[in-house]
Amino acid sequence: MTTVQAGRGPILAAARPSQGAPRWRPQPLLFASPAVLLVVGLLYAPFVWTAYLSFTSYDGLNPPQWTGLANYIGFFRDGILWVTVSNTLMWVAGTILLPVGLGLFVATVTYRSRWGTLLRLPFLIPYAVSGAGVAVVWGFVLQPHGALNEVLAFLHLPGGHASLLANRPVNTVVMIVASTWQQVGVNALLFLVGLQSIPEAPLEAARLDGADGWRLFRYITWPLLRPLTAVVVGLAIVASLKTFDVVWVLTQGGPGRSSETLAVTMYRDTFVANEYGTGSTVAVVLTVIAGIASVLYLRGQLSSRRTVEW
Amino acid sequence: MGSYTRLLLAAALAGALATAACGSSSNPSAAPTTVPTGKTGGETLSLYNDKGQWKQFFTDIGALSKTQVGSDLNPVGYTDENTYQAFIKASLRTKVKPDLFTWATGGELNSLASQHVLADTSALWKDAIGKGYLSQQLEPYYTVDGKQYCVPLNVAYWGMFYNKHVFAKYNLQPPKTWSDFTTILSTLKAGGVTPMYQTSTLFTFVWFEQLLAGSNPDVYNALSTGKAKYTDQAVVDTMKLWQSEEAAGYFTDPTVKDQPQALLEKGGDGGVAMVPFGTWFNTSMTAEGQKPGVDYGFFVIPNVNPALPKTSMVFETGPLCELASAPHLVDSLRVMNWWLTPDAQQKWAGSRDDVSANPKATISDPALQEVAAAAGSGQYNIVDRYFEAAPPPVLTAALDAFGAFMVKPSTYMDQLNTIQKAADQYWATNK
Amino acid sequence: MGRVVTRAIFAVLWLIWLAPVYLLVVNAFRSTDEYAHASIWSPPHHFGLWANFVAAYHSAGLGGSLYSTALYAVVAPAIAVVVGALAGYAIIALRLRHGFAWFVLVFGGSIFPIQMLVIPLFVGYAHLDLYDHRPGLILIYTAVSVPLAAFIMRNFFTGISYSIYEAAVMDGASSWRIFYRIYLPLATTACAAIFILEFTFIWNDLLFGLTLSQSDSVRPVMTALSSLLSLYAGTTYNIVLAAMLFLSLPTMALFLCTQRLFARGLSLGQIG
Repeated sequence: MTTVQAGRGPILAAARPSQGAPRWRPQPLLFASPAVLLVVGLLYAPFVWTAYLSFTSYDGLNPPQWTGLANYIGFFRDGILWVTVSNTLMWVAGTILLPVGLGLFVATVTYRSRWGTLLRLPFLIPYAVSGAGVAVVWGFVLQPHGALNEVLAFLHLPGGHASLLANRPVNTVVMIVASTWQQVGVNALLFLVGLQSIPEAPLEAARLDGADGWRLFRYITWPLLRPLTAVVVGLAIVASLKTFDVVWVLTQGGPGRSSETLAVTMYRDTFVANEYGTGSTVAVVLTVIAGIASVLYLRGQLSSRRTVEW
Repeated sequence: MGSYTRLLLAAALAGALATAACGSSSNPSAAPTTVPTGKTGGETLSLYNDKGQWKQFFTDIGALSKTQVGSDLNPVGYTDENTYQAFIKASLRTKVKPDLFTWATGGELNSLASQHVLADTSALWKDAIGKGYLSQQLEPYYTVDGKQYCVPLNVAYWGMFYNKHVFAKYNLQPPKTWSDFTTILSTLKAGGVTPMYQTSTLFTFVWFEQLLAGSNPDVYNALSTGKAKYTDQAVVDTMKLWQSEEAAGYFTDPTVKDQPQALLEKGGDGGVAMVPFGTWFNTSMTAEGQKPGVDYGFFVIPNVNPALPKTSMVFETGPLCELASAPHLVDSLRVMNWWLTPDAQQKWAGSRDDVSANPKATISDPALQEVAAAAGSGQYNIVDRYFEAAPPPVLTAALDAFGAFMVKPSTYMDQLNTIQKAADQYWATNK
Repeated sequence: MGRVVTRAIFAVLWLIWLAPVYLLVVNAFRSTDEYAHASIWSPPHHFGLWANFVAAYHSAGLGGSLYSTALYAVVAPAIAVVVGALAGYAIIALRLRHGFAWFVLVFGGSIFPIQMLVIPLFVGYAHLDLYDHRPGLILIYTAVSVPLAAFIMRNFFTGISYSIYEAAVMDGASSWRIFYRIYLPLATTACAAIFILEFTFIWNDLLFGLTLSQSDSVRPVMTALSSLLSLYAGTTYNIVLAAMLFLSLPTMALFLCTQRLFARGLSLGQIG
């Protein structure tokens, strides 16, 4: 067995890292402290206010009134809960499936290709476009008698005359497609970083053993991509749980709240209905879910050291 | 490095100044009881607004303000009304305060006024009404507990914009009665033209408001005071009428993403023949390059119920406000006072091709001039726009419910029950 | 065989991705007159792009400062990359105690819904005199960029052989020196990827720029763009798209300039 991160050559012979608990040294923390301070000071601190508001009734103007757990009880009894949670879960599943899967596909196909830049360009352009632009372009595509309807009708596929943004769950599905259009390029870029960090040695050895194409990818590339796969999937989980922009610009969660996600519900309650307490409750629930999901995922992905047998 | 030090110094200085400004104006009761006249000290006043797209109009009127009263205006535009309101409310707790800011009438104005954070503009109103710059009819929208706050930023009457080319093709005239109007709808539909625009985002209340105010204005008004229920027969009948029109295919798909001005310009060519909106929609139409009176026109929608004495017309007005703790308290009042003059209003309404709160300002578009004049002379039964009339929690529920109705018109009763549930909750705690 | 199928699928995807891009470009080029009646798919007959951009510039006043926007979009990600790399280095190479917990703390900064942060941030900024100052905006843009940077750098560094670190320590190099002479240079592509992503995010951001500044010299340029879509005096879509196309040029240029970095491989095990 050889650990990949050990590479080869003389360094391999160097002493393994001592496994005993390292002595307390202030220096590592010093290196991490700018990141910790920035994040805690500018992102955690404001959220404390939101967390406090979730236990109050507040309209943004009169002083907040402490109401204990009333908002939380109300949230779990709200009839919209099922709609908004199931929509959000569709976003999570859809985002891991489509933008992540296609991002990996685009990265592996274009990596080391002579025309790599050109081949990747259509996938990168959408990311450069601002949210307002995505709204306009996908408005063209998704609206009644829009471009997607035309294409479906032309191909004699079902949905040619459907109103794609009108009903659950189709409206959420088509918005996931719109979001995929924008996100694939980012994921492809991150997978490229991962592909580049894979050493030549295991690939060459596997090729000598006769592995190629799918087998090479499945048994060598895929396991070695794991650090960056963890990044892409970890980011996708968090981002999809917080899905807001695309939905807000295309349907504002409607018609009749049918396409709301948790983040849209949060925004609607806070800023549209002026019920900061209720909105903050959704924000806290959302944050807790995102926190638990990412810790569970990352602990599984990051705790074991990356080793590959070949 | 030097520039950075300067930056830090400037930051410290700005902080000190802000603190000083805060201290000097911390006594809100200093608002003058007479109208401040004369020129301002010349400082540029910030004008926070949720109408980022009006930046050029604000800049233009600021230039006029500078020459006429001495202060320029710096528009600070927001693009999202909801976060804008949250921002303004939050600014009350900080030393960052706007000189002037736009707001909404109805519940939103009441909540600020009842907190005693707004500058009293009663003297300005008295003076302006005396000079004929503002109509007495407008005063209630700006009155809380007997005092006036803010001045009108804009006013708008709601009616129907229609494509003149389409009307000419089908030999149609603006309707005088409801049956004229239904004839227009069926003629257009038979000719393959989608008669009316509707949308399931934000402006979902438009047709509900129009139909109910035109068939039973008393019930419409009573809804916003909690004295009528959304499940009352008059309201149910209105929804049935709306449902029948939806079923007849008189509306666009509510999820359409094309802009209404583009659809109205297209007319029979894949667009719509009519768009029911406020007079502010004129700005969008002229920006589209369309000519009022040639390409499109505007008519007041007839009452559903012909027995009513006056035609109901929906009215909205948005305020321009000042905080009692504004940084330039008196100068901002001077500018607000100037704002009401015919000179200022001519420029402000003219640049947007909209109507003005000042009856003495002439309006460039003859059709709108006619409507505004008729409204001013009491020819119409003016009702408040639903957006301002309904209590905020009821409005939030209703906007969603009407959107859901458009997609599935058969659910009208469910939707009314949903709205009534929100209304019951609201009126249980707010008498 | 497998290769052919793969390439065919890729070609189909490539065309699908290009279709909305095509819609975007042709409609941005259309004049307003033509836009009203032409099919959205048809190629433009008149070149209206520049006129549209000028119209957007004037009608909504694409105010804000291009200089400020560029400053935020370049400086904040640059700082964030280094700050994130330092954190990743501390956790992976320096074996920071409870490294996973510290990592979760930093990454946790990305899980908050940012719509809820802006109002308390505004209040705090007003109290600290950071409101409407460029350093204030750089600060928040850096902070929101750090979690992603730390995550990518941490995971990227797991791919670098620990023996490299140990060898350098034996040569007597300080932790700081190992960081900027060995780890940072090895992570050039990861840094570039982070920079691109954060640059684009900040360049296109509306929320923070809008809420934490008021003067045209501090406000980012993007803030005016979404106002063009408003129903009240909205601008026609061809003009919106033209403005957007222009404002996405710097991001496109950045993509194209950095693509070379992603084209060549680098083998981390070979350093030593």
